[in-house]
Amino acid sequence: MMEAQTIPKPIIPRFPSLKFILRAVAVLIVAALFFVPNYVEDTYILHMMILIFINVVMGSSWNILGGYTGQYSVGHAAYFGAGAYTTMLLLQYKQVAPWYGVWVGAAAALVVAVIIGSICFRLRGPYFVLASIAVAEIFRVATLNLKDITNGAEGVLITEIPPLVIGGRLITDWASKVPFYYIGLVFALLIIGVTWLVRNSKLGYYFQAIREDQDAAHSLGIGLTFYKNVALAISAIFTSLAGSLYAVYVGFIDPSTVLGLDVSVQIVIICIIGGIGTITGPVVGAVLLVPLSEALRSNMITDLLIKVGIVGEETRMGLFLKEHLSQAHVLIYGILVVVTILYMPAGIVGFVRRMTARKARA
Amino acid sequence: MAILELRHVSKFFGGLAANSDVSFEVPVGTIMGLIGPNGAGKTTLFNCITGYYPPSKGEIVFDGRAMNGLLPDKVCKLGMARTWQKVRPLTNLPVLDNVIVGALCRTRSVRDARRIAQEQLHIVKLEGKAHLLAGALPIGERKKLEVARVLATKPKLLLLDEVMGGLNPAESEEIIQLILDIRKEGITQMVIEHDMKAIMRLSDRIVVLNSGEKLAEGSPDEIVNNPQVIEAYLGAES
Repeated sequence: MMEAQTIPKPIIPRFPSLKFILRAVAVLIVAALFFVPNYVEDTYILHMMILIFINVVMGSSWNILGGYTGQYSVGHAAYFGAGAYTTMLLLQYKQVAPWYGVWVGAAAALVVAVIIGSICFRLRGPYFVLASIAVAEIFRVATLNLKDITNGAEGVLITEIPPLVIGGRLITDWASKVPFYYIGLVFALLIIGVTWLVRNSKLGYYFQAIREDQDAAHSLGIGLTFYKNVALAISAIFTSLAGSLYAVYVGFIDPSTVLGLDVSVQIVIICIIGGIGTITGPVVGAVLLVPLSEALRSNMITDLLIKVGIVGEETRMGLFLKEHLSQAHVLIYGILVVVTILYMPAGIVGFVRRMTARKARA
Repeated sequence: MAILELRHVSKFFGGLAANSDVSFEVPVGTIMGLIGPNGAGKTTLFNCITGYYPPSKGEIVFDGRAMNGLLPDKVCKLGMARTWQKVRPLTNLPVLDNVIVGALCRTRSVRDARRIAQEQLHIVKLEGKAHLLAGALPIGERKKLEVARVLATKPKLLLLDEVMGGLNPAESEEIIQLILDIRKEGITQMVIEHDMKAIMRLSDRIVVLNSGEKLAEGSPDEIVNNPQVIEAYLGAES
C-alpha cells in the first residue's frame, strides 16, 4: 500500500472564510443571548424567546432521528407528553421538584421510546411514519382515559413551584420568566452541542448511512435496529426535556396540548422549513415559525396591515382579516410547508447553502 | 484450507427453488468465479451467504463458523463483505464519507477511519474525487467506490457481484487489475461476472450455476470444455 503523504490535501479556503465569519457571528449571538434578560424588561419578548428555545430543542431532537437517521417520526408528541406529564404529575401530586422531575420525565420518555422503537422499527418508509402516528395517538388516548392517574381531559395545573435553594441561598422563586429563559437557553445549547458531537462521531456516520441506504448500511456492518434505537433514544430524551420545560413554564397541560398530533406535526414542520439534517436548520425553523404563529394567532399581522395603511380598518377586507386571519394560522402554516417543499426541498438552510455554493463557483 | 464452505444450501421462495442443494468450497487466497445464465440464482446465493436471506436448507460455514441466521452486519464484522450488482452509494454523502462508513466497521475513531478511507480511495484511484458527493460520480467510479468501501471493512472474503457490469473495456481492465491486486493482499474473492473473458482470466476455480443447481465446478479450462456448460449457455444441439 502507498504512503498516506501522497494523498492530496483538500484546497485550503481563503482566510477568513465565510464559514469562519458565520461561526464567529454565531458565537457572538450566543454570548449576547446570555445577557438579554439583563437589558430586556418586556415579558412578552422573554416569553417569545422561551418558546423559541423550547421549539429549538423539539426540532433539534427530532432532527437526530428524522434528519440524520432518516426515520420520519410523526409521533414525537409521545416523548414531549411523556416528559410533560411525568414532571407535572410528580410536582403536583408527589411534591417532587421539577429539577428532579425532568430527569424522571426523560427516563419515562426513554421507556416510551423503547416500546415505540421495538414496534415501529420493524417497518420502513411510509409504514414507519404511519406506525409512529398511531402509537403516539395510543398514548394520547390512554392519557385521556386513565383519569385516576392523569386527571383525563381536565389536565394538570400546578399551583406552586417550590423555590430553588442551593446551599441555603435562594436561586429563584420562579416568579419571573428569567429562570425559564436561562433553562431554555441551556437546553437549546445542550441539544445543539449533542447534535454536533453525534454528527462528528461514528454514530453520525452510521445514522447517515442508514438514512441513505439501509441495505447498504447493513452490509457494511451497521446493526440497523441498534443504531435506529440509539438515535430514537437521544431524540426522545431531549424532546421530553422540551416537554417538561414547556409544562412547568406554562403551568398547565392537558392531553391535546402536549400529546396531540399537532405537536408532532409542529416538530416536523420546524425541521422541514429550517432544513432537515443540518445543525442550524431546526434553529432557523424555530426562530421563524414561533414568532409567525404568535403573530397570526394574536392578529398582529392584521393590526400591522391596518396601521401601515395597506388595508383600511373599516373596509370589508379589513373586517374580514380581523375576523378570520387569527383562525387561519394552520392554513398559512400549510401553505408555507407546501411552498418550502416545492421551492426549497432542503429547507431554508439547504437553499442558502446551494445559493452560496453557486456564487462561489461563478 | 477452505475459508468458505457451502453444504447442500437450498433457498426456496414459495414453491420456487432459487438455489437447490449447492455445495462447494472456496480455498483461502483464491478467486472463485461464479457464473451461470440469467436467473441461475447467483445473486440469491450471494444474499444467502451474506445473511440477507437465511438459507432454507443446508449450512454455510465461514472461517470455521456456521453462519446460519446471522444478519448482514454480523457477517460483515466476521470478515465477509459484498458489493451490489446495482451499486448502492450513499448518494448525499461525500465519496470519502462513504468509505469512512465502511472503515468504521473496525474502529471507533473517526480519525483512524478517515486515514483508512483515504488509503482505500488511493488504491482505487478516486482520491481526487474524495470531496464530491457520491451521487455525482459516473457509473464506473461508483463501482470503484463500492470496492473501496467494502475493502475498508477489512474483509477476509470479498463477494463481488458483477462489478464490471455496464463498464467500458478500459474501466473493466482497471477493475480486473484491482481484483488481482486484492488477491495479492491475501483476500479471498468470489466473483459473479458475465464477461467470460474476464472471469476466465481472473478465476482460479469456477462454479457454474444453472436453474439454481450447481452444474459444474473446475478450473477455467475444465469449464470451457465442459459439454454441459456449453449446453446451458448455447442451448442443446437438436
